[in-house]
Amino acid sequence: MTDTSLEETLERVPSLRGLFVTAMPDCLLFQSWMRDGEAWSGEDVASYFGDLIRANREGLKALQAWSAEMQVTIEATDSLLVLREVTDFVVGFVFDRSAPLGMVRLHVKMVLALLDELLPRVKPEQRPRGVRIAEFLLRYAPDAHTALQRAALRSGIGVDMLKKPEQLASHQLELFERSVCDILGLDALKL
Amino acid sequence: MNELKLSSLRRYLLLQELMFMAGQPAVYHCHHFNLFLDQTIDDALGPVQSRKLRTSAAREFASRLIRAVCERVEAQTPPEKLQVACQIFAAMGHGKLDLNADAQGGKAKGSHLHYGFAWHEKYGSQVRRRDPADAFASGFAAAAVEVAFGLTLGSMAAEERSCVAMRASGCDIDLTPSAALENEGGPVGEAESKAYVGPPEDGMCEELIQPIAAGLKEFTSGVAGDERGLVQAFGVFVTMHLAGYYNRISYDAVAAIEQTAPQSVGVLEDLLRESGHVCVFNTFGGILVSPEWEGLVGPLPNDPLKIVAFCMAIGRALGMGRWVIAEFEPEKRLVLRTSSSYESVYYRARHGIAKTPVEYLFQGAALATAQLAHRVNWTGKPQFTPEYYKQLFKGGVPWRAVQTRAIVCGDPISEVVVTKIE
Repeated sequence: MTDTSLEETLERVPSLRGLFVTAMPDCLLFQSWMRDGEAWSGEDVASYFGDLIRANREGLKALQAWSAEMQVTIEATDSLLVLREVTDFVVGFVFDRSAPLGMVRLHVKMVLALLDELLPRVKPEQRPRGVRIAEFLLRYAPDAHTALQRAALRSGIGVDMLKKPEQLASHQLELFERSVCDILGLDALKL
Repeated sequence: MNELKLSSLRRYLLLQELMFMAGQPAVYHCHHFNLFLDQTIDDALGPVQSRKLRTSAAREFASRLIRAVCERVEAQTPPEKLQVACQIFAAMGHGKLDLNADAQGGKAKGSHLHYGFAWHEKYGSQVRRRDPADAFASGFAAAAVEVAFGLTLGSMAAEERSCVAMRASGCDIDLTPSAALENEGGPVGEAESKAYVGPPEDGMCEELIQPIAAGLKEFTSGVAGDERGLVQAFGVFVTMHLAGYYNRISYDAVAAIEQTAPQSVGVLEDLLRESGHVCVFNTFGGILVSPEWEGLVGPLPNDPLKIVAFCMAIGRALGMGRWVIAEFEPEKRLVLRTSSSYESVYYRARHGIAKTPVEYLFQGAALATAQLAHRVNWTGKPQFTPEYYKQLFKGGVPWRAVQTRAIVCGDPISEVVVTKIE
């Protein structure tokens, strides 16, 4: 966090252990704050939170229950997570599990109001689809160290070409995407 | 009918460390290898062709095994033969099969089938599987019915309709009469194994390797499937498996890709090597940190040469061949040789002389042995989990393995040189 007023605010929120701002749709870490002693990988957390919100959004749309105001609350064993979309970002809060839910909602609202002023309005530039497909594969494939080789074998595209996914031609992109869907057991990639 | 006892059916080819089950080439492998190899065949051929090949390979080699075992225990009637097939399947660690079929077909119900169960355990929380996993069990069930009722190979089609890997509650295999008869391939048994091995040789640390290998063979002779028909030990699910199954699916897949997508042969071979790498790293690593190992050999030293020697002993005991250490220079170079491998026996018997070295398991195993020797802190009691594997290898392997001599190419021995990438 570079903004000192935000950082000071976060420090004062009781039970807050971390905050992650993920830029969408690429699920890249935009900003993060962690209380001293926490050792999470901000990049990993940000990307998973982004995917989670996206999957949640699609699921709610399928149920015709989606609204822009949706908020995801996860009650894990030792932490309470709140995820919320703010324009082009997903903001993830990690609280102690013991924090009262009413207080958590209050603090989330306060911090979101502050972030609303601080986060940029310009939509982040969308990176090439091939890059996003490759990142999605490497993030979720089992045995990720062999994921590109598996995609190469399934698609018939060389590994070296898959290492430069931004250069894939459109028909190669289709083959690559199909192979990634098959590896991950998905019908389609919602990126 | 005589009592079926796994240990009495198992034997090793003297000094060559190749294993046989009722005369059929067999080898111990873990679920990491089994799942990765099957997955690679799926990646290469697609789910439909892969399942067809894997079922066919299972049928062919299970048929030979079931016939041989039935003969030895004097099982004569169809119920006796079906019973023997299910017993041997469970004893080898493949799970429980309940066969309810006759010459007109029927059903096979599986519980704790090794492939489906282990897949669900290892990958089930990460990805959704869209195709059944138990082609081996399907082919085995078909072979059992064919043998029991004196039917021709291929006359019983087997199709897994539900599978625990696809989050079903159990595994169900339909067995139906089929006109798609299959030719039994050329023999790959003890005679061929004797024909396609080189003169056995000793390497470094034999005084350490030989007694440990003998002790491990003794230990594994008593190992058989538990009440689930699984062998869960050393942090992995272990199977005694038919070497012919592994070989046929690997080499037939390579041959198919050479025809349909020759540009992909290299990546397929890389993944076949990775099967050996993931197997040796996890299974051998799991064995080395087990209480059983400590009881047999003692505490582990952080001594790379000794770790390599231990790996040679384990490889021999598991029936992978007479692996020897030809050269060793810590942190730089490891040269492994073998006068025998289940891969070379099969390849030479079925395909003749190869143009390039294609002993993928041996190549991957040599690379993994170097990793175990140099990159694991043994006194820290490491856990051989998927996370540990990912942590070590996500950036690639900082060593390179090159097979410099190969029985499949006509050399008397096979040799893999592993060097650290500077």
